[in-house]
Amino acid sequence: MELQDGERLRAWEAQNRVTPVSKFSAVAFGIRSSYPFPMIKSQFHPHVLHLGIAAAATVSLLGGITSAALAQSRTQVVNVYSGRHYNTDKELYAEFTRQTGIRVNLIEGKDDEMIERLRREGSKSLADVLITVDAARLQRAKDLNLFRPIQSAALNRDVPANLRDPGSQWFALTRRARPVMVNPSNVNLGLIRSYGDLARPELRGKLCMRDRSSVYSQSLTADVLQRAGRATTEKWLKGMVANVKQPFFTSDTPMLRAVGQGDCGAAVANTYYLARLLTSDNAADQANAKKVRVVWVKPTHVNVTGGGVTRHADNPDGGRRLLEFLSSPTSGEGYAAANNEYPAKGWGNNATLRSFGTFTASPVTIQQLGQRNREAMQLMEQAGWK
Amino acid sequence: METSAHPPSTIAAVSPAVGHSRWALSAAACAIGILALLPLLALFWDAVFAEQPSPLGLGYSGAEQIQGTLLLVLGEGILGAVLGTAIGWVTASCRFPGRRLLRRAQLVPMAFPAYLLAASLIDWGSYQGLRIHGLGWAVLLLTLANYSYVFLLSTESFSASGHRLLDASRSLGVGPWAGFFRICLPIALPSIGAGVTLSAMEVVNELGAVRLLGVPSLSAGILDRWQVEGDPKGAALLSLVALAIVAVLIAAERLLRRRSRRWNLESPSRVERAWGLRGWRALLAQLLCLLPPLAAVTIPALWIQQGWPNLQAEPLTELVQLAGRSVSLALAATLITAGAALLLAICVRWRPAAPVRLLSWVAGLGYAIPGSVLALGLIVFGGPLGLSPLLLLVWGYGDRFLTVGKQGLDAALERIPPSMDETATSLGWSWLGVLRRVHLPLLRGPLLVGGLLVFVDVVKELPITLALRPFDFDTLAVRVFQYASDERVGAAMGPAVLIMLFGLAASLALVPSLERHD
Repeated sequence: MELQDGERLRAWEAQNRVTPVSKFSAVAFGIRSSYPFPMIKSQFHPHVLHLGIAAAATVSLLGGITSAALAQSRTQVVNVYSGRHYNTDKELYAEFTRQTGIRVNLIEGKDDEMIERLRREGSKSLADVLITVDAARLQRAKDLNLFRPIQSAALNRDVPANLRDPGSQWFALTRRARPVMVNPSNVNLGLIRSYGDLARPELRGKLCMRDRSSVYSQSLTADVLQRAGRATTEKWLKGMVANVKQPFFTSDTPMLRAVGQGDCGAAVANTYYLARLLTSDNAADQANAKKVRVVWVKPTHVNVTGGGVTRHADNPDGGRRLLEFLSSPTSGEGYAAANNEYPAKGWGNNATLRSFGTFTASPVTIQQLGQRNREAMQLMEQAGWK
Repeated sequence: METSAHPPSTIAAVSPAVGHSRWALSAAACAIGILALLPLLALFWDAVFAEQPSPLGLGYSGAEQIQGTLLLVLGEGILGAVLGTAIGWVTASCRFPGRRLLRRAQLVPMAFPAYLLAASLIDWGSYQGLRIHGLGWAVLLLTLANYSYVFLLSTESFSASGHRLLDASRSLGVGPWAGFFRICLPIALPSIGAGVTLSAMEVVNELGAVRLLGVPSLSAGILDRWQVEGDPKGAALLSLVALAIVAVLIAAERLLRRRSRRWNLESPSRVERAWGLRGWRALLAQLLCLLPPLAAVTIPALWIQQGWPNLQAEPLTELVQLAGRSVSLALAATLITAGAALLLAICVRWRPAAPVRLLSWVAGLGYAIPGSVLALGLIVFGGPLGLSPLLLLVWGYGDRFLTVGKQGLDAALERIPPSMDETATSLGWSWLGVLRRVHLPLLRGPLLVGGLLVFVDVVKELPITLALRPFDFDTLAVRVFQYASDERVGAAMGPAVLIMLFGLAASLALVPSLERHD
């Protein structure tokens, strides 16, 4: 009897193709592959599993209860899609709720995905406000018809004209300056007066840059392109890329550490990354960042965080009020300070930023930056910017 | 070994027609297949009928991305195969001090997602003046995160098959090395191939790590084309290339499977036939088995130690909320996925007709599709319909991880002899009765373990969650990603540690199944 069963099972296995993958499953899933035939036993003690399930259910219930939103009238709620994610933002939103009684619901994500999601949801979207980082993204959201024009004296007053859409569809909320950062022991501070100087042969092998997929690199190039024209930009790109110490960096913080360590002589980076390292609780980061000097090239490229009220907003009025709140001199400063950025107007009160001094911002408008983005990317690719 | 003397019959052929309820079963399976396929169909429909006319072409960057992914798959495949096989053989066929512990330790790297390894190594390296960048590092890190697949499969093969041949060869004076290369390795080759295939699919799907390391890849290219460049046709074209690579991998794996069948008929012997290692050989074996798990633990540990002063503890209530959402989403996805997997597996058992088998295969395709692509597909048709984001989210998880839940069930069902079903059916039970009173009690183990794997995969999952979650619904993985992409490493640490703990707990749950083969 024993033998017959064994033969039969083997035949069954052969017929059913006991494969390596199913063998993997047998290993991974705890199936008893040795015979005695035919019992399959769980490798787990049932009580342990029940306990685990009960614990998991409790935890999830807790999470569900705490995150449960109270049903509120639609005018009392503003839904925000945001590319920013700073915990201090939430304190600002809470302050907005205290002042206006309007609650802020938030989805924070990657900027491009937020835009795509808004576009796909169309008129069904629950979002009232889209907040995103970078000129080209704001312009793209406008081109995709995701924003609606809003009339607001407060916004027109608090946001300079070159930092908002001429059609009043989006408004900058904070500024991100991108000067040159230099390690003086490696590169003569007087050598660099403008972005054009980054192509100087003295910098060969000493310059570090972010990669092409970074929006900061793209809008820097768009800035130069708008001011200097195509031919000059091509020449500049060629010289500068030749100077770059490969490989290109995928983030600013390691790049700034490399400048401090003397691995790079100069780099182009946003000031808030340096400010973050300078105020870090990590002694090594602080000491390293103190070796880095900010060189305010003339004019300095500025990018923005900006927002607008969505085309299909159910509460456009609440959305407008939120934007007004975030760009107002008092709370706008908090919105910028959360990430050591500059407010839309003025220099803010951030002590670290003030220690860097002030700068002459590029005359190129945010709209122009967005419009030249695609051409800039093409030129960068041609020049071999990885 | 010849089996044709007693041809086993399929259940469908012999079972009496008890009730028409099997049609309900087929219909349910069909529904699952269609639901799984819907996002993909929507995606290609959308790409083909895209509003903006874009020239169909991949361009220079497309070629670069294809090359990048191919090199990654190749590099990780070779390195992972060598490492996984070497450790698999040494721990299965040799005896040395600490072997048991080291064997279990091979499951540890599974707990660490590649994107966490990459992010922490890059950050730690930048303090030391080390540039962690490029293809070489990407291959190393992806190998570390994925070689366990090869190890698990090959070691099972080494300890389970080829004993008689090996005994015979030893009696003819064949030594350990020759025994490995001439007997064990050829026998285990299909298992190794299957392991490499599984890990290669993970590599094709990898997004976070390759981005951070600056390696151009198909998964990143697809997303950028779609979202940044507004070129859905180009994105669909690149997805097709990704699917083609996966199809080649699956085909290769099936070819190897066919070869493997003949090796599985040997009954296991209980004779002790391990090679004892002493002195420097034992030391070498210990080093080989120790280094990869040690590296997997050390990288995040170094990072945490280095970034400790920066640690900004998330408020406890916030952490509990994040973990609560991660866990509740994972629980819901696990229940749905396990249910769907069970239905499909049972349906294939009762109706092993070609279309049903095909359907069950197609439903499992989600595993091979990058999560970000799947999420786009769900948004494409879910957005205009105004479907609830939570529904889409769980749908996406189910689609992506159905295979993970189903593989264990398939394997377990194959091991339940048809005579059981036949007996039950002859007593007048319908498929539902057989399921409840025969299959379910026998499948409880694999169902629970499969569910556990799905659970942890969902907790670690990033692209689908990021793209589809509703308002104020961040999870652990989402928070880690946001902090890491803002380059705020200190803040990312708390949620990251929680994810790794979940992963460790799950990989520990696999230990008993490894032990069984000792």
